[in-house]
Amino acid sequence: MRPLVRWALVAAAAVALVTFPYWSAPWESTRFATTLLRDALVLAIFALSLDLLVGRAGMPSLGHAAFFGAGAYAAGIAGQRLATDQLPVTLGAAALVAALLALVIGVLVVRSEGIFFLMLTLALAQIVFAIAFQWTAVTGGSNGLSGVGRPMLATVDFSSPDLMYVLVAITFVAAALLVWGLARSPYGRALIGVRENERRMRALGYDTARLRLSAFVLAGTIAGIAGALSAYSTRFVSAQDAGLGNSVRAFVTVLVGGAGTLGGPIAGSALVSLIERVVPSLLPVELRISEAILGLVFIAFVLFARQGMVGLGRQTWLRVRSR
Amino acid sequence: MSLELVFQQALNGLSFGALLFILASGLSLVFGMMDVVNLAHGAFYMLGAYVALSVVQLTGSFWLAMLAAPLALALLGLVLEPLLLRRLRGRHLDQVLVTIGASLVIVDIIGQLWGREVRSLSAPPGLDGSVALIGGVYPVYRLFVIAFGVALAVAMSVVYRRTKIGMLIRAGVEDAEMLGALGVNTNRLFASTFATGAALAGLAGVIAAPVFGVQPGMDTDPGLLYSLVVVVVGGLGTLSGAVAGSLLVGPADTFGKVLFQDVALAVIFAIVALVLLLKPTGLLGRIRVTR
Amino acid sequence: MIEVRELRRAFGGVVALDGVSLNVPDGERRAVIGPNGAGKTTLINVLAGEISPTGGAVRLAGRDITRLHSWQRARLGLAHVYQRTELFSPLSARDNVALAVAARRGPYRLFRAPPRSEYAQSDAMLERVGLAGREDVVVRALSHGERRQLELAVALAQSPRVLLLDEPTAGMSPVETARITELVAGLDRALTIVIVEHDMDVVFRLADRVTVLHEGRVIADGTAADVRGDVRVHDVYLGKAVTVA
Repeated sequence: MRPLVRWALVAAAAVALVTFPYWSAPWESTRFATTLLRDALVLAIFALSLDLLVGRAGMPSLGHAAFFGAGAYAAGIAGQRLATDQLPVTLGAAALVAALLALVIGVLVVRSEGIFFLMLTLALAQIVFAIAFQWTAVTGGSNGLSGVGRPMLATVDFSSPDLMYVLVAITFVAAALLVWGLARSPYGRALIGVRENERRMRALGYDTARLRLSAFVLAGTIAGIAGALSAYSTRFVSAQDAGLGNSVRAFVTVLVGGAGTLGGPIAGSALVSLIERVVPSLLPVELRISEAILGLVFIAFVLFARQGMVGLGRQTWLRVRSR
Repeated sequence: MSLELVFQQALNGLSFGALLFILASGLSLVFGMMDVVNLAHGAFYMLGAYVALSVVQLTGSFWLAMLAAPLALALLGLVLEPLLLRRLRGRHLDQVLVTIGASLVIVDIIGQLWGREVRSLSAPPGLDGSVALIGGVYPVYRLFVIAFGVALAVAMSVVYRRTKIGMLIRAGVEDAEMLGALGVNTNRLFASTFATGAALAGLAGVIAAPVFGVQPGMDTDPGLLYSLVVVVVGGLGTLSGAVAGSLLVGPADTFGKVLFQDVALAVIFAIVALVLLLKPTGLLGRIRVTR
Repeated sequence: MIEVRELRRAFGGVVALDGVSLNVPDGERRAVIGPNGAGKTTLINVLAGEISPTGGAVRLAGRDITRLHSWQRARLGLAHVYQRTELFSPLSARDNVALAVAARRGPYRLFRAPPRSEYAQSDAMLERVGLAGREDVVVRALSHGERRQLELAVALAQSPRVLLLDEPTAGMSPVETARITELVAGLDRALTIVIVEHDMDVVFRLADRVTVLHEGRVIADGTAADVRGDVRVHDVYLGKAVTVA
């Protein structure tokens, strides 16, 4: 497939994605699909940011929701305290707060590897969660932060379901482009180097600790933006946004989709959203076990399809082609 | 703060520390032997509490629950280890991931079977009173928890140092592969270790129930969060690490909550951060190859 | 170029280096030989900054580098080829070399694809070590000998002033050994090389001077001819002057 053709197709897909509410309106009056897709895209942005760490840099973080939550709270609180709802300000606050938190936590965790790194990120993120849960004065504590303002850009109000979706979709396309560009850049290649053989990278002259820290902060910032979008979508921030459950969710999404690929986190969010939103409506109401189903699917992938859906797809494609 | 209050809070800190020890020791044991961080440990803790709930409902006996819950968890551990972990031998990160999946399943099923409301379990008759202590009255049960924690620590220490099993464990913590080469059935060893860790978590669930209640979310708070903080601070894989960590985190958390209230967790954060900066493997931990 | 003074390194109770001192002037090719366990690899690792010494000092071009990390030393012009192959397995030969080329410029360029000059330089380096035509091959698919050639390419791509080679011909067939040896022999004379070797033929072909280590100490230091005739060296090798490969 010639590059120009591929680019045209991708651009067309992106446009179709962003304008989804408009061309789907005839058969989508309840906006169920729009909301579902919107939330899936927020998860996709979140997962893409985590994949920078897990898939590219080889840093398995189980505390990524701390930055998602921080961004969500920052957007909501900035809107309320600064009496503004202008997106550049609130999104900027979200990115800034998430980045700072990622810097603080990053400095502490970046020198560890593998399982120890995983545990440290988990423990530190849980502490952030607990602070959010108990600091009622600032975050609303266990009641959460309600009354998150309407996102505005100049005079355009993005809080209608359609426009909110468009905002999320555009951010998703931007995030996907960013990750795609990163993967092909010297930076992305250096991250892979750190993942594959950190000792050798240091022997080549790379300051690997700083590389990992930069990846950690970058990933945290993007997660913060995803969190802000989530806050605007639901007009509400709960402490659970920063909790272990949310970190696990993102991790599951990345792994099940296929770590280290662009399509992985995206496919993963589609599957996870399906399990969380669509499956419950297929089961009897009293049987609320979507989390258990997610857990089982995750176990199955870890045991039998570690490379995720994208990896499976590639394997099948290669096998078919060699016939 | 009056002296009586300080004393009371000190006892609270100690009883919390004792609880933390019972909880964290299982996590530390499994890691020391198998290099697996069992992230379903909090779920095991939660399951222990809920099983105790049912046993007490059925039989009225707290003591029976204290036997039944660890037993039930041990059985679960014996099933899960060969099912999930054995085929991932050597892939430590994946083993951890699989325990995450198990945790998701267990917690959701608990909610489905027992409901998602807040429940409670009272201390057994005999331990549910208060005792006159310096400057006031203090719940007997909390004193029991302290005593139990100390007794367990001593018992584990004795087993660890003086028995054949303890020797196997110590050897396994050093080099499990070597044990296999020497003819020890490592499959059985790992399964029983995992089961023991699960049983300890379940035991902690029962004992903690009268103090912390039984409710959704207990698998992470206090379950997993506190066990992880204890072992990160105290040092992973060693008994003394679990003791040191619990003795440090228990009182710190209690006093933190009294002094700083809303942001007491910041105190814990500060301790964790300090320890990590000074000694990344925890106070009494061992350096491990972690990939 | 390299000055080592009273270097000591112990691992628990085992003393690997027991007061090693040597001087390698600019542009010299120094071989370090000795029986197994003499401390050769430890010496290289200390020079490279992978292990810190328990005593002594290392200077590079007059500058004390004893406390510097390996990546800092790399930026000062030190390149290290490991005893066991240490490459980036899922990457192609070209990407492996490109990482080394790019290291100079720093990795914080987020949006542009690697400049074509980088790939051109990588390909040139690969051709130089005899891997022309194998640029796109993933490391996993390369033979052992090819991987060692790639290692050399990666190290050279760092444009080093000093090259540390730890048993570069280990595990190679005579043909491969000869190829690597000629490659190293043909390198720029301005490059200072320290090479640990067991194969005496390689040593005699390449080395200007030879340092002999035994149990962590220098027992002989001279030209290849001097060392060849040194009785102590013979004793230490149990009478064998040719290596057991």
